[in-house]
Amino acid sequence: MIGATPRWVLGATAFFLVAVGLFMLVPLLVVIASSLSSSEFLVFPPPGLSLRWYGEILGSDAYLNAGWTSLKLALGTVVLALALGTPAAIALTRFRFAGRAAIASVFLSPLILPSLIFAIGLLIVFSRYAAGPSFLGLVIGHTVITMPYVIRTVSANLADIDPNLDEAARVMGARWWQRYLLVILPQCRTGMAAGAFFAFNISFDDAVIALFMRAPGVETLPMRIYSTLEFSPDPSVAAVSTVMIAMTMLLVVLLNRVFGLSRIA
Amino acid sequence: MSTGTMRLSREPALLLSPGLLFLLLAFFFPAIQLLAQSFLTVGAEAGRFTLEHYAKVVVDDFYAGVALRTFRLALIITALCLLIGFPLAVVMSRAGPTLRTILIVLIILPLMTSVVIRTFGWLVILGPGGVLSWTLQQLGLIERSMSLMHTETGVVLAMVQVLLPFLVLTTLGSIGQIPASLEEASRTMGAGFFGSIYHVTLPLSVPGLASGSLLVFALSISSFITPSLVGGVRLQVMAGSIYQQMTGSFDWGFGAALSVILLVITLMLIVPYMVITSRVGGRT
Repeated sequence: MIGATPRWVLGATAFFLVAVGLFMLVPLLVVIASSLSSSEFLVFPPPGLSLRWYGEILGSDAYLNAGWTSLKLALGTVVLALALGTPAAIALTRFRFAGRAAIASVFLSPLILPSLIFAIGLLIVFSRYAAGPSFLGLVIGHTVITMPYVIRTVSANLADIDPNLDEAARVMGARWWQRYLLVILPQCRTGMAAGAFFAFNISFDDAVIALFMRAPGVETLPMRIYSTLEFSPDPSVAAVSTVMIAMTMLLVVLLNRVFGLSRIA
Repeated sequence: MSTGTMRLSREPALLLSPGLLFLLLAFFFPAIQLLAQSFLTVGAEAGRFTLEHYAKVVVDDFYAGVALRTFRLALIITALCLLIGFPLAVVMSRAGPTLRTILIVLIILPLMTSVVIRTFGWLVILGPGGVLSWTLQQLGLIERSMSLMHTETGVVLAMVQVLLPFLVLTTLGSIGQIPASLEEASRTMGAGFFGSIYHVTLPLSVPGLASGSLLVFALSISSFITPSLVGGVRLQVMAGSIYQQMTGSFDWGFGAALSVILLVITLMLIVPYMVITSRVGGRT
């Protein structure tokens, strides 16, 4: 057998995969386990099981407000990132023009700049030219860091589709708005959906930009979790985190349905 | 696409301009403002050109130490990611569809979970009386409870878990482009299992490994959430002290100078990363 793998290598590989799997998943599993603890403190192993911490967060205005803020923020980001990113992706994949490669890298450049550095620049701008950081500032910041994902997914999506369909519509006399509404945008559907999932996930999870753009009265879930961890972690943080992990799992499943996980990897 | 050139160039311009204008105002303008801030005086005579913030970084021993720790940790983290990530990517590229999907979920699920939550998990694992301490006690390896909080070992462990997915995904892209026939040929011609990996797979994965490790290194020096929560104030890293300057002590000029230094180093790493990825065909 040409491709034969020695037996002991298979054994070692299995061991390696289990070890890496534990290493990657245990940090998430311990959070889920801690959320079910009946103790006031984060001790391991938990003395007993209880769902009281879920009741606790449902009765906590601070967590509910933070959850609502995070949700509004993520949805606003998705809308803005799709509105700005989709047309750009259409232009970059369906047209040839001078400077196309350069413009494409301009659009992807927020991926390169560490979000820490971008967050500081944004904080300086909002403090100098606006009344300081605000919810709108957060939406703008998250749109900048998520738009590249929309552009990548929509571009990948359009690359798979025959551009002649649009050409046919044009030849048959479709007006520009008919082409966009009836041909091009429906073609972008899966790319837009995948981009929206990414944008939602990144915005909902982001703590870096949120912590720098801290505005009075605006607190997202990751900000709340961060400050709780700094001072007094208790199992209610674990319950909130578990809800967020469950949402991430749902997004991964949806992303796989719509776009295929192997295309991300 | 020859059809595209015949179209009016007004159409792509209209499609691109909202996004470009937005990036100009919301991305490039802040970056320039950050650069400007690092050269401007603050306080009574605010707004004059100065190099004092940069001088402070160089002169102050504390920040030299912080910078040194940042880079030492980033090097260790990158090396460990390479050591774990390369074999993992090789296995993923050869695995059957089921195992491959499981492994991709294993990499993507943590990647898509908030860094704050993953770090929380590590606090529960590493803390005194935590999962690690309990497990080692149960196994009889240690007698008293232990903690890896506020240690470099703890920071490295948590950071490797946070950053490993970036290395694996980048490397997987480059291994996927190696034709299976090359490895088969080397095996037919007498190479052993490891000989084939060492002489064929490894050299051909170098672009992916190189770009993946540059990315991990760049992300590692600019992380502050995991190092701040696991390492605490005693083990400050550059990104952590930037966060403190900007939100705690409000020395924006100094914070900006530290960020510009971090930015310059990141760009020195990222430019080669972009050259490598565009040469191998790149992932769009």
